Amino acid sequence: MEAYAFSPEQLFGSVFKESGEFLLLDVRNNEEFEKFAIEGPFLTQMTNIPYFEFLEFEEESIAKIPRKNQIKIVCAKEGSAKYVADILTNAGFTDVGYLAGGIGTWADLLMPVEIAANEKYSIFQFIRPGKASLSYGLICADECFIFDPARTIDSYLDFSAQHGTRITAIFETHLQADYISGSQALAEASHAPIIAHEDDYRIASFEYDALRNGQVYSPEGSGIEIKAVHTPGHTPGSTSYLIDNQFLVSGDAVFIKSIGRPDLGGKVTEWSGLLFNTIVSVLKQMDDQIRVLPGHYMDWSEMDGSGRFIDSLRHIFDNNAAIYSIDDIHTFTDFIKANMRPQPEVYAQIRQVNAGLLTPPDEEQVIMDIGKNECAATHD
Amino acid sequence: MNDEIKTVKSFDLTGLSCPMPIVKVSKAMKELNPGDIIDALTSDPGALTDFPAWAKTSGNDIVDTRPEGENTRFFIKKS
Repeated sequence: MEAYAFSPEQLFGSVFKESGEFLLLDVRNNEEFEKFAIEGPFLTQMTNIPYFEFLEFEEESIAKIPRKNQIKIVCAKEGSAKYVADILTNAGFTDVGYLAGGIGTWADLLMPVEIAANEKYSIFQFIRPGKASLSYGLICADECFIFDPARTIDSYLDFSAQHGTRITAIFETHLQADYISGSQALAEASHAPIIAHEDDYRIASFEYDALRNGQVYSPEGSGIEIKAVHTPGHTPGSTSYLIDNQFLVSGDAVFIKSIGRPDLGGKVTEWSGLLFNTIVSVLKQMDDQIRVLPGHYMDWSEMDGSGRFIDSLRHIFDNNAAIYSIDDIHTFTDFIKANMRPQPEVYAQIRQVNAGLLTPPDEEQVIMDIGKNECAATHD
Repeated sequence: MNDEIKTVKSFDLTGLSCPMPIVKVSKAMKELNPGDIIDALTSDPGALTDFPAWAKTSGNDIVDTRPEGENTRFFIKKS
């Protein structure tokens, strides 16, 4: 049987849903594999054998692959995966696929999952497994609101069109450092305004609507509200958006198993203080049944049985007592400092891109945008 | 261009993407004598990490790496 191509969406289906045993064979060189690899809750077997090992030591390399498995091969672009797939099929393997377009298509993949649906609105979570990032779409009557869009804006434009809506506002929770935001491109494509906090966006080269803490956006005739809640700490302008008093799009303020690190701006003491104040005076004052829709997950153990990343404030406070129960600012700052680690060098450039101060060519943006986020204050 | 390094063969692999640059160079190396050096001009960004990794695996030596505009020229010695 000939080797077949599979799409990143099909790969998502295999690694994020229980779909049988397979071996993921990554044929990139070890250095690239160490930097970034495919992850997923149902990915149980993965091995890295560079394609040139198949070239130099064909028999020995083939002998490393278990015969009974289904084999899925990935490489940087596609060519090397197909090359190895052909070697394996020629050697008698019967179920061998390769990722069409290479690992970059996985790094960019966005998968929408429904979070809530009622007669007034529906909310979708866009999971980006390559980044462990989450963005959101709110559909309300004929309007679509996007929160923290990724660079690949066609996913949001298609999503809006499929629901027969038009994008009327783009909300940013903060100036992102870990991925390239799609806000500027999406604003150009949809003519919708970008809404963001000026403490993060005052350096921006593009137009945006500066929000006020407590400002309410109410889609026309919807009867629901989107309320901007200033939750500084991860950045000074960090803002969460409370939808219908029930769902909090928290950006990098609150994570299901952590909190957004306040040390990325080089002012760890000052920003830790902001974050501590956000926990005590804002988050702890909210209804703890409110469900958090975070900007990232740390790992897929946070995923619920329906394949979504969502949890109540109450559970988050209880499950992360080591962070959220600290009751004085000095202990909190010491805790943050004890967990600090370097940030990827590319983050400084990504901030510049997201503020419209730097516009690298598309191919360069793809490379800048590869890699799992480093936004949580705590880590394994 | 390669004035100080004497090479027995030159390859223009620009426009080729992986695995082809390595496939071609690997094949060529097998026909050389130990100590022979070839140079290969590549445009695929993947070559930057693939060539050194391949050389290590195959037991050849990359004796020099030179950027030429957008491209990179590797000098590879058969061990």
